[in-house]
Amino acid sequence: MSEVTVRVQKVRTASLKRKLIFFGALAGLLVAASFFSSYLCPWDPYEQNLALAKAAPSADHLLGTDRYGRDMLSRVIAGSYTSILSTLLLVAFISVFGSIAGIFCAWSGKRLDTLVMRLADMFLAFPGLVFALAVAAVLGGGVQNAIFALAAISWPKYARLARSQTLAQQELPYMQAARMAGCGTLGLIRRHVVPNIAGPILVTAMLDIGTMMMELAGLSFLGLGAKPPIPEWGSMMSDTRNLLATHPWVTLAPGFAIFVSVMIFNLLGDTVRDWLDPKNRR
Amino acid sequence: MKWKKLAALALSVGLCFGALTGCGGNQTARNAEGKVLTIGDTTFNSSNEEPDVNPHNAYAGWACIRYGVGETLIRYSDDMEIQPWLAVKWEHTDDLTWKLTLRDDVTFSSGRKMDGAAVKQCLEHLIGVHKRARQDLKIASIEANGQEVTIKTTEPKPALLNYLGDPYGCIIDVDAGFDNGIVAGTGPYVVTDMKPDDHLTLKKNEHYWGGTPKLDKLTIRTITDGNTLANALQSGEVQAAYGMAYESYPLFRNDKYRISQISTSRCFFGKMNFDPDSVCADPAVRKAISMGIDKENFVATLLDGNGYAANGVFPAGSAFGGDKVKAEKYDPEGAKAVLEQAGWADADGDGIREKDGRKLVVKWLTYPSRQELPLLAESAQSTLKDIGIEVDVNNTADHNQVLKDPKKWDVYAMANVQAPTGDPEYWFTVFAVSTATKNQGKYQNAKLDALEQQLSLEFDPARRAELALQMQQIVLDDHAFVFCSFLKMSMISKANVKNYTSHACDYYQVTADLDVE
Repeated sequence: MSEVTVRVQKVRTASLKRKLIFFGALAGLLVAASFFSSYLCPWDPYEQNLALAKAAPSADHLLGTDRYGRDMLSRVIAGSYTSILSTLLLVAFISVFGSIAGIFCAWSGKRLDTLVMRLADMFLAFPGLVFALAVAAVLGGGVQNAIFALAAISWPKYARLARSQTLAQQELPYMQAARMAGCGTLGLIRRHVVPNIAGPILVTAMLDIGTMMMELAGLSFLGLGAKPPIPEWGSMMSDTRNLLATHPWVTLAPGFAIFVSVMIFNLLGDTVRDWLDPKNRR
Repeated sequence: MKWKKLAALALSVGLCFGALTGCGGNQTARNAEGKVLTIGDTTFNSSNEEPDVNPHNAYAGWACIRYGVGETLIRYSDDMEIQPWLAVKWEHTDDLTWKLTLRDDVTFSSGRKMDGAAVKQCLEHLIGVHKRARQDLKIASIEANGQEVTIKTTEPKPALLNYLGDPYGCIIDVDAGFDNGIVAGTGPYVVTDMKPDDHLTLKKNEHYWGGTPKLDKLTIRTITDGNTLANALQSGEVQAAYGMAYESYPLFRNDKYRISQISTSRCFFGKMNFDPDSVCADPAVRKAISMGIDKENFVATLLDGNGYAANGVFPAGSAFGGDKVKAEKYDPEGAKAVLEQAGWADADGDGIREKDGRKLVVKWLTYPSRQELPLLAESAQSTLKDIGIEVDVNNTADHNQVLKDPKKWDVYAMANVQAPTGDPEYWFTVFAVSTATKNQGKYQNAKLDALEQQLSLEFDPARRAELALQMQQIVLDDHAFVFCSFLKMSMISKANVKNYTSHACDYYQVTADLDVE
């Protein structure tokens, strides 16, 4: 390898590292802000003051107020708790549950593998949001039910990924060596399989955060997510869409929050993927 | 790579162009079909019990009369006084007998002449299938003789003519059938096509007795979402709209549109559930709710002033409405004291009161087709929380189904025209007396029932008003309902639409004079 190639590689790695730190910090900041949102809100996000209804952005209310006179900035910050933490919870659940199901399928007998995979195929056969809508409609509104609905349609992706990765790992010589050295099934999974398949699953999960946030906001927008007066970005946009033409800040504020958050998590996901890609780190 | 970027740019521009051209209006006043008009309506749907135009089906008579399909024997003036319509005169021959003389120049859209026999057949069918009409009209027998109809009632029925003006009283040709909710009426327009919850298409009735209708084709589009309706009117997809959210009005207060507005008895009110398991079974909770809703601010801000705060069942301006009855005023401190006294206290400090281990949570059921009802729910949610009541809002188009299960709601907030017949008795017989068709909360008061008996037999208008006031006071003292606001009925149209005018009764909309230039 020539000296120039090595130097280019080093620069690329350093650039990736900077991007990773930058987007990681931004995402961390978002998560922290959502976690401590109740301390960050300048006004009570639930307190109505009809005298201030639909006030334009001002020094007191940086993002204006909604039709009930509630401070939009505080609502957007409080909404991050519901929107971001619900999304992280959802992604954590589907990635862990899906991966366990996938590893289990790869390790179990053919009959069980076929059964679970056909079940996964069934879930994948439905158009995602339509199925989530149906599930949420049956269970009723509320963030919890929306999360459940999205989880129901999203886990098979991870199950398939984990299964295929596990099957590939099973064939590798080091696994046979480990078996011959007396390593049990659980030990094999814990020590050898999980660390080796974690990368692709992590990348998928990171890239999924933005998608799930959009889908959760979509369900809420359609009235199947958060119920009033809980601030959640999707339902905030839905509730105020009548005001888009006359008082646009009320609708645009939560929309902008979704846009920024989804972008940060997507860029972070891309960066993590690049970082874990051996081609970029050779 | 450059060509790829260029291709992406071209595609984006193409998509934007396509989207923008899609927003353009595609309706013109005059096309190959003649003069056409499309009206968007948020209320013409099954969840409002208006799935079709058959006046003998639930509240579908409202659509029948509203869209110019049917007409009643009498009509209401702007002051809600009775006037001749299909009947030219009437006579009250004794306490139980009414003799009506019909117009001689009216034919149904089926081609049949409207005569006494047709009216008799229609009214007999109505009371056979429509429970509310049967209870209201109390008809014992009908006799037809040429253009004369003699109606005998089982008991003195002073408000009979008022009830005959109710939309269910649209005179239709029963022999023409009820083809999936389509009927043959006497109005200026005839139904050609209907898909419930989607659209109704009408053509002009060439043989209309009141002159040739101005439009050749009229389409009513069901658009339940207020925002979609506003967009449809702006884009020209519809040229007139009923049920627009007040929040969208600023978009239409300019020379391009006309807004026709009139005060009506349409009221936003909450119905309490008296089921023993409901928190509203406790009189203190009902009283606190009545004291805990900030009506004035709701009207001023969330209705944008397009109404006024309600006191009792009926609006001011009638002999039986307005401030003539005493209702609870917004008084959060008083409401807290009422709850405190009844044993509802916040022991765990979470802001919500409890009693005997039960949290004071009110299940508030409402529906979205009246655009401001969800706003009332959220406003009440906030003001009631201040007094220690948690409100769990269920805003659903499926409200009629939920309403059937008394365990699923405590307060049902709805919109209703309180005196659509210009008479007070209607409201009590529909909502308040123990046998009322829409008394889903099972409210009962023996004195109210007895007064209703008196009201139903009373001919003197002054005495009727007095009885109506007494009955309202009972309902208010029991806190069986909380009356929040009366609304101005508003219809918006493009500036080139003529004679699309609101009426105090709320259901006269499409007339032969409706025109588009």
